Amino acid sequence: MPFPILRTPFVVLSEVISLLEPNEIVTASFCSKKVRRLLRKQHQRRKPLEWRLYMIQQECWGQVDIMTSRNDEPVTVLSAKHISEASNESEHNLIQMNEYKRGFSLELPVLYFEDWETGSEMIVDYAADLFNLDVYGLEIDRNGIWAIDWINNRQEKMLRSLELVENDLYDMCGDEELDYILTKDTCASEYYILKETVSDDYRFDGKLGPARHLHIYPKGHWVTLDNLMNFDFIDIQVEGSTLSVPDLHTFLKHWRAGGSHRLVYLKLDFQNDTNFENFERELELVEKANVVDDRVSEEEMADWIDGLTIQRMDGVKATIHLDIRYFVLIVWQSTIFQKIL
Amino acid sequence: MSSTEQGTSSAAPAEPTTAPESAAAPEVPESFYYVHGKDKVVHKVSAGALQHSALIHGMISNLGYTEEQAKANPFPFENIDGDILQMVVDWCNQHKGKPTPPEDTNLPKQKEKLFDLVLAVNYLEIKELLTYCCKQVAMMVKGKSPEEIREIWMIPTDAEDEAAEKEAKKRAGKEAAGETAAAAGDAK
Repeated sequence: MPFPILRTPFVVLSEVISLLEPNEIVTASFCSKKVRRLLRKQHQRRKPLEWRLYMIQQECWGQVDIMTSRNDEPVTVLSAKHISEASNESEHNLIQMNEYKRGFSLELPVLYFEDWETGSEMIVDYAADLFNLDVYGLEIDRNGIWAIDWINNRQEKMLRSLELVENDLYDMCGDEELDYILTKDTCASEYYILKETVSDDYRFDGKLGPARHLHIYPKGHWVTLDNLMNFDFIDIQVEGSTLSVPDLHTFLKHWRAGGSHRLVYLKLDFQNDTNFENFERELELVEKANVVDDRVSEEEMADWIDGLTIQRMDGVKATIHLDIRYFVLIVWQSTIFQKIL
Repeated sequence: MSSTEQGTSSAAPAEPTTAPESAAAPEVPESFYYVHGKDKVVHKVSAGALQHSALIHGMISNLGYTEEQAKANPFPFENIDGDILQMVVDWCNQHKGKPTPPEDTNLPKQKEKLFDLVLAVNYLEIKELLTYCCKQVAMMVKGKSPEEIREIWMIPTDAEDEAAEKEAKKRAGKEAAGETAAAAGDAK
């Protein structure tokens, strides 16, 4: 039964729009220019501050995801593909527009372009304009490196999250692309998630940060002691680490002397078994930290605190947990630590 | 329809049967008010049930009617069809004194009446029922393509919008010309 939505009072229209999922809003925006204007106005008026827009750019397709407070996972709202994929994918007849063909598949509009890079830019601009949002996060493989500068030039606010993922289609390593990200002044202000495969002899000798989170996995063999000491992050997690026990002792000395001052959580998962026998002999152990946090159970907190406790020169304590395959350092800087939990 | 009186006079309605009340008996006698829609059928509704409607609740608070006065002066809602008002009254009675659960099985299901129901509920300012109705409207387009949404929500195409705009401009131009001519005639 049809429902003439545009004849409803503004309050009703606003309420209905507020109940739509982001992908439904984008789909509806393609109904007409008038509807698009209306949806756009609605989001300009009531900016959903908690919504985050992500650009995903891989191989030869792009998509826009929106994360809302209603959903645990981002919702894909729009995607751009090469025109050659149109015939076998779209569930509906393609609609010819000025610069692309529009299809509809898996509950979202798919725009097919001759030039998918332009298409990716266009869908991000479209969604960002519709929802009145900046691009919050970027997920790319090595083909999408161009998007970092494109985003940081298109908006005043810097990209908050950058994720470089592996591209299975290539045998070769992404040394050059990872190097571009690491050597650039700043790419993102909060998250660096680096999953690209790099060659065994890849090395980086600069500084990275400041930002909040640095996650390198599964191949963090390239992270050296110098790198670790020069990473300016609150949370550092490295998988496939090749750091040695002497490296860790050096790092802890550096930390005790006030180095890596913002660090709150460090987790290293080792590529090979590591022998931590008598590790504590070289540490000046102190009494356990006294930490209270209402958000976690006493048992959980006890688990975290129960380890090797060391102290920085300014009195801040940290707990070390270790095993043949991992090393964890939790620094008890309460205000910062709470943001990480 | 236990809360409805099938009378047609708005002046002196006969005693209608009341809706089944909740198990807990009120300590003080409950006051009742009367409403009618376009069809003039008068519905007797308790003040408790009417609290769902911010509009009627406001009217009651401002008027300070006695029950006799209320009986003699049903609230007229000439812009609401009788069957729609009946649905609204039924819903208010079913939800008297309690909040609407997230999955409310007592809500009106008539899809063909949804538009009129939405307008009525919005006019009567029944927030919870409006939210439910809006959920139904939003659900209509789940998984639909732009073309399907356009059909379901009766959205004109760009071409239709442009044509309507042209037509409106043309009409406005004609009206303005007519007014000018009339003014010139008057001046003569």
